[in-house]
Amino acid sequence: MNSIPHIQPPKFFLRFFRWFCDPAIVEDIEGDLTEMFAREIDDGNITKAKIQFSVRILGLFRPGIVKKIGCPSLFNHSSPMFKNYFITSVRSLVRSAGFSTINIVGLAVGLATFSLIAFYVYSELSFDRYHVKADRIFRIVENLRTENEELFQSTSSPPMGPRFLKDFPEVENYVRLQQWSLLAQRNDISSYERESYIADSTVFDIFSFNLVKGDKKTALREPFSIVLTESMAKKYFGNEEPVGQTLKMDYDNYKVTGVMEDVPENSHFRFSNLISFSTWSRNNKDNEDRAWFWNGFHTYVLVREGASVDNVRAKMKDFLKRNVEKGGMYYEDLPLQPLSSIYMAAPRSWENGTRGSMNNIYILSIIAVFILLIACFNYINLATARASRRLKEVGLRKTLGALRRMLIAQFLGESLIITLVASILAVGLVWISLPSFRGLVESQLSFSVLPNVWYVAGIMIGLVLLIGLLAGAYPAYIISQFQPVQIFRSSTKGIFGHNGMRKVLVSMQFIISIMLVAGTLLVYDQLDVVRNQDLGFTKKGVIVVPTNGDTAIVNYLDAVKNELKRIPGVVHASGSTSTPGQSAGNNYTEIEMTDGKMSPTNINFIYADHDFLSTYEIKLLAGRDFQRDVKSDDTTAYLINETAIKDFGWTPEQALGKKVRGRQGGKIIGVMKDFNYRSLHTKVEPLMVAMTTYVGRMSIRLEGTDLPTTIANVKTKWNELIPYLPFDYSFVDVEFDRQYKADQQLGKVAGVFTGLSMFIGCLGLLGLTAFVVERRTKEIGIRKVLGASIPSVVLLITREFIWLIVIALAIATPLTWYFITRWEQNFTLQAVINPLRFVMAGTVVFLIAWLTISVLSIRAANANPTKSLRME
Amino acid sequence: MNRHQLGEFEEIVMLTVGILYKEAYGVAIIDEIEARQNRKVSIGALQTVLRRLEDKGYLTSEFGEATNVRGGKRKRYFSLTSLGSRILRETQEQRVEMFKAIPRMAFPKP
Repeated sequence: MNSIPHIQPPKFFLRFFRWFCDPAIVEDIEGDLTEMFAREIDDGNITKAKIQFSVRILGLFRPGIVKKIGCPSLFNHSSPMFKNYFITSVRSLVRSAGFSTINIVGLAVGLATFSLIAFYVYSELSFDRYHVKADRIFRIVENLRTENEELFQSTSSPPMGPRFLKDFPEVENYVRLQQWSLLAQRNDISSYERESYIADSTVFDIFSFNLVKGDKKTALREPFSIVLTESMAKKYFGNEEPVGQTLKMDYDNYKVTGVMEDVPENSHFRFSNLISFSTWSRNNKDNEDRAWFWNGFHTYVLVREGASVDNVRAKMKDFLKRNVEKGGMYYEDLPLQPLSSIYMAAPRSWENGTRGSMNNIYILSIIAVFILLIACFNYINLATARASRRLKEVGLRKTLGALRRMLIAQFLGESLIITLVASILAVGLVWISLPSFRGLVESQLSFSVLPNVWYVAGIMIGLVLLIGLLAGAYPAYIISQFQPVQIFRSSTKGIFGHNGMRKVLVSMQFIISIMLVAGTLLVYDQLDVVRNQDLGFTKKGVIVVPTNGDTAIVNYLDAVKNELKRIPGVVHASGSTSTPGQSAGNNYTEIEMTDGKMSPTNINFIYADHDFLSTYEIKLLAGRDFQRDVKSDDTTAYLINETAIKDFGWTPEQALGKKVRGRQGGKIIGVMKDFNYRSLHTKVEPLMVAMTTYVGRMSIRLEGTDLPTTIANVKTKWNELIPYLPFDYSFVDVEFDRQYKADQQLGKVAGVFTGLSMFIGCLGLLGLTAFVVERRTKEIGIRKVLGASIPSVVLLITREFIWLIVIALAIATPLTWYFITRWEQNFTLQAVINPLRFVMAGTVVFLIAWLTISVLSIRAANANPTKSLRME
Repeated sequence: MNRHQLGEFEEIVMLTVGILYKEAYGVAIIDEIEARQNRKVSIGALQTVLRRLEDKGYLTSEFGEATNVRGGKRKRYFSLTSLGSRILRETQEQRVEMFKAIPRMAFPKP
């Protein structure tokens, strides 16, 4: 049998066997195995012998052979205790049901709000990432320098895209888009499609928009081709087949060549239809090729796979020098914005679609973490405070030989159990509150935004573990530290040295609460300032109706206005290209300087009629408004705003009579007081107003208290005069305020979550007070017997917390001051920070905390001392 | 009685241990069962059952001499305890009783 001694059984399996096998029986079984192996070797088939050997070992890996759990070994030593730990944990949770509830509810609310905010933040950050080529798509934006200022625009000129493709080998494709607002009509449905875009036919090659019907190669090739989204197709065609049919938009008939899926919610610009670029360019060939300074388009380029944008950027100066002639204003730079960054980037002029606010994302994330921290602190405080209840247990375990790490494991496990229960509750809370949360943040928050389920589940489990460990670590450390000798000594004084830590945590909770309350108050202050700021025009009481240059209105403008003005309650009516709060066009213009030379500039323009200034109650600093009896005003008169003349260094009087050469030659006849024609986020830019007969929007100033009736009358009149044009009105003040939607949302959301954080904080405070009261029952009893009054007893308990609030107020004030000041930088006009707000916040937090504490301490103070002293 | 119910494989292992008398160690038991019963026995199944029977007190075991063949590992010899042999006998009697209780009519005619 020793004939082939050099053949050894597979080492790995043997080692594995030795590792898992019960040491008491390892020797003889290994002997058996070796014997059988040797026998099979003798039979001659070495490979078979080895395989048999390994199979047998795997067969031995079963209960009964595997080491008994509980044998002294590094790996398994504490396993049988787990059951015991679990039982004691559950018992102690049930015994102190009140405290457990506080912990679980606090953590659940914390986790739920955290998840909701995380969901929102994630969906905000997911914008545009669904495009397959997202990381290769860039938007060309422009930094322009005029003589007086630098302009940051989101738009670029029509030749830009084609020239990029020609000059940069790295660029694979481009698409140009321009937003149009068109009146779509079919049968008896007519409505404004404000989110119509003209687009190059390459739009489907670059973006991942799914064409359901039609050919993406040819759909947008011919002029007057239109691709509808599914919802728009349904709106106008119902169940009919839209492809091949025609749709009238403004004055033209468009042929439907395709239907695409609706644009996902998380897109920085969304549209209801796409119109072929050739619809515009067939009559504008010259502009398309040469209008380098006409920044009317959003251009997106697709960079080749593997090519670097930095290469393109490096050649930009060269590109500009080669292609663009200077014209007083020149291109400083052409940055390329990565597609996925556009939604969160600082808005430039003429942005398309909606924009998020990185600031709000930061603020909300901070609030979410704060709330979670408050909930964790609750747990830590209550767990350490109640540690004394568990002292005997810990002492006993230690005496019986429990190692410190076993105790730590036990108490960590306990916090994990609580977190787990809380997280299950949190899932329910999220489920219930999701609809109202959607309303609060005004976002669809569809689950489709989220990555796959396992990923989310993994993150949630990770979160539970993290919170469990975070909350459990300190209490476990403290509790496992107790020495049995100390525990069993009659006096337990001296082992509560962690009191300091608890104070720190409670004051941190107060700091957070005060910051949130004061912050919310200050945010509302700022929003108030924004809302009530003097805009330079009166936004209240004006409604705007889009007309899209309807020829009837253009031809009979004065007649229509007169008809409207005859309605009681209508004071003024005015037609213009654009209205305040919307945007203003931007034109290349030459203006005469003091030295008589014509200086070129790019200036914003609103084209309006005689009644524009009176309708919006815009004041003149010098000169006059357009006048009906001066016929030349129609073509040669210009109004200019205060900012513009300041830029030129003129007084209002100096400006009058200066020559202007733009679309038409003429001169300045009046200087307007500045008015915010866009938003308070942007400074008032230079502006000129000239006359037009083209009416894009009709503004009507109403008066009186019964606006609904007046509007109904206007509507009747409108339908009588121009029956085919929908009376699709909006209030200027509402539309203007909508620009602060993100900020108002922030205010609302901050308000709600401040409330929640206060709630969680109070829960903790309640628990802590209950504990303090419980521990001091006898002391209170004795004090009362000796003649202490009820208020003095209440004060005894609340005193400690009051100090903490004062300290918290002192720390929270400068922090909040700093953050709010930074946030207010977003606005052109900042609210003065009112120190009283901090006093208010402190008072609110103090009152709520005090009420919470008082409930229990008053009860304790009122208790009959005989009761507390009798028990022994 | 119920507490001492033996499984089929347990019973066979105990019988084999009895048969082998002083030579009942792992490999020998396997060989014996395989020879007598014409069935494959895995060492995993056998060893688990041996330990279980030992825990129940039906078997006892002791180490033998170390031999070279087994890589210097000793054999563990199993033998029936008195409890074990009693259980074995009881099981046997039970079976016989039950067999006897079958009415003759129940057996199909050959």
